[in-house]
Amino acid sequence: MDGDVVIETKGLRKQFDELVAVESLDLRISKGTLYGLIGPNGSGKTTAIKMLVGLLKPTAGHAKILGEPVPVRTNRSKVGYMPQEMAIYQDLTVHENLEFFAGLYSIIRETSRRREEEVLRVVDLEQSRDRLVSHLSGGMRHRVSLACALMHDPFVIFLDEPTVGVDPELRVGFWKYFAELKAQGKTIVLTTHYMDEAERCDVVGMMRQGELIAEGAPRDLMEKTSVSNLEDAFLTIARRSRK
Amino acid sequence: MNLQRILTVSRKTLRSLRHDRRTVAFLVLVPLLMIALFGYTFGGDLKDVKVDIVNLDQGVLDHALGNDISLELRNTSVLKVVDYYGPGVQNASAVSSSLEKVKRAEIWACVVIDQNFTVEVLKGVFNMSHGLPVVPAKVRIEVDSTNPNIAAAIVAEVQKAVQRVLTERYGIVPPIGIEMSKVYGQDARFIDFFAPGVMGLAAMMVTFMLSIISFVHERSAFTLERVQTSPITEGEFVAGYALAFGLVGLVQSSVILGAAMLLFNIQIVGSPLVVLFIIFLLAVGVQGLGFLLSTLARTEFQAIQFLPLILFPSILLAGVFWPLEAVPEVLRPVSGFIPLTYAVDASRSVMIRGWGPEQVWVQLLILAAFAVAMLLLSALSLKRRG
Repeated sequence: MDGDVVIETKGLRKQFDELVAVESLDLRISKGTLYGLIGPNGSGKTTAIKMLVGLLKPTAGHAKILGEPVPVRTNRSKVGYMPQEMAIYQDLTVHENLEFFAGLYSIIRETSRRREEEVLRVVDLEQSRDRLVSHLSGGMRHRVSLACALMHDPFVIFLDEPTVGVDPELRVGFWKYFAELKAQGKTIVLTTHYMDEAERCDVVGMMRQGELIAEGAPRDLMEKTSVSNLEDAFLTIARRSRK
Repeated sequence: MNLQRILTVSRKTLRSLRHDRRTVAFLVLVPLLMIALFGYTFGGDLKDVKVDIVNLDQGVLDHALGNDISLELRNTSVLKVVDYYGPGVQNASAVSSSLEKVKRAEIWACVVIDQNFTVEVLKGVFNMSHGLPVVPAKVRIEVDSTNPNIAAAIVAEVQKAVQRVLTERYGIVPPIGIEMSKVYGQDARFIDFFAPGVMGLAAMMVTFMLSIISFVHERSAFTLERVQTSPITEGEFVAGYALAFGLVGLVQSSVILGAAMLLFNIQIVGSPLVVLFIIFLLAVGVQGLGFLLSTLARTEFQAIQFLPLILFPSILLAGVFWPLEAVPEVLRPVSGFIPLTYAVDASRSVMIRGWGPEQVWVQLLILAAFAVAMLLLSALSLKRRG
């Protein structure tokens, strides 16, 4: 493994009964990369991420994160994960949720307090710290979920549809923060439906029916397909791959 | 009121049931289970209440009424005579060894028929007919009155046996004194008997509900999945929950115990701390059971359907309201598999008999084993990943 490669998969495959959700996925993602997995619903993005965070056992192939095979518990404190579903406790306050997730990573109280202030600032929820999550709007809950994934200051961050249900203004804020994290040397893998957003990624992987049909910098992919946006690039590549 | 709209709502509701086969199965199975359990249990009279008979009656001219009464007692289905000591044995040692068995709760009572029973009966009959002062012949019962119903049933059986022998067989009505001396539960009332049971039952019910609903929710809200990506181990997660729900069970038991003491002045002869520890073990085990069953339920709706399956056998077969001796024989082995049976038995022994951990260690061990097994299985079930 190159010293620089943080995420590496070889022939990763996941089959549920008859359905092949992910087929021979080979990824090499370097440190400090903002990597976007894009593709329609059911293309295997979430399944791929769930295998990478150790929630699903691959049917074949293997994956390594920070040089260690997945799933390895020693690595877990270095990995952050925000699932597509909210996956936060509705009957706790924002602060209580953050404190819980900090506790899972054995973060000491002072660090936890400092991190809480930082992440709440990023997701713009400083004023809602003591509100019950069930009393928050859908977009706000999404922000709490992101905040929970970042509490332990992970090196590698998997975000499954982090900007769904988030208003455009805040979405810009999110992307600014992703860029900041990237600048700190963190590696981010996210999935998104919004093609315009994906253009902000360093590298995008296009998935269709479980397969990675193209991978590269958004500009390169658009140039290769002679189109001006990523959505058209995806459609062109998808059409070609069908042939 | 628009009938069509009403029917639309009804149809939608029935349709969604149709898609949930498990619920439909429960709708049929739960009432069947309930009628079977209630029918058998309520139909069940006391049976096989364990007693010893110490028949010291020497009799008159080779005939001892004590033998007749003992035989009568051995033939009733309510009592089960564990040991019978005839007149030949060492009087004092038979009575004391039998009494020890009552103290160890191996038997409910020891029925002692006096040495001069036949003589006293004959004297009584003679004196009565001659208008002389009468001293009643004596049958003593050393009884464990932890369960007042059982104690009363034993006395009633002895009375019936005496009556059958003397009145029906010999046509005499002599004065008989049945003396009951209570080994345990001197002032026990029915509430003293069922308070420990209700406490265990309440702790079990609430812990089970909280646990199964919480875990179904952890799964359906994907929080469990998220937690599983963190460094916490399956064992730590399960233990964290067990501790929390064990404490909930403890607080609840303390409330019940406090209220029962204040409102009904219930007896607590032994240490309340031992009682609380028993309930804690039960609560931890039951929350583990809730966790395991939560893996079989996809929704909260399906989860609460497990409640009657757990609750009814516990109410009816664990000795909460009715003694285990009233559980029909076919169902008695089931009682042995219900953890509440041991919790109720142990807390009752502590509260009424005044026993300590050294006397209820078997029940404590079973409850601890149940708790550990449930926690281990819960942790293992979490390890299974798709």
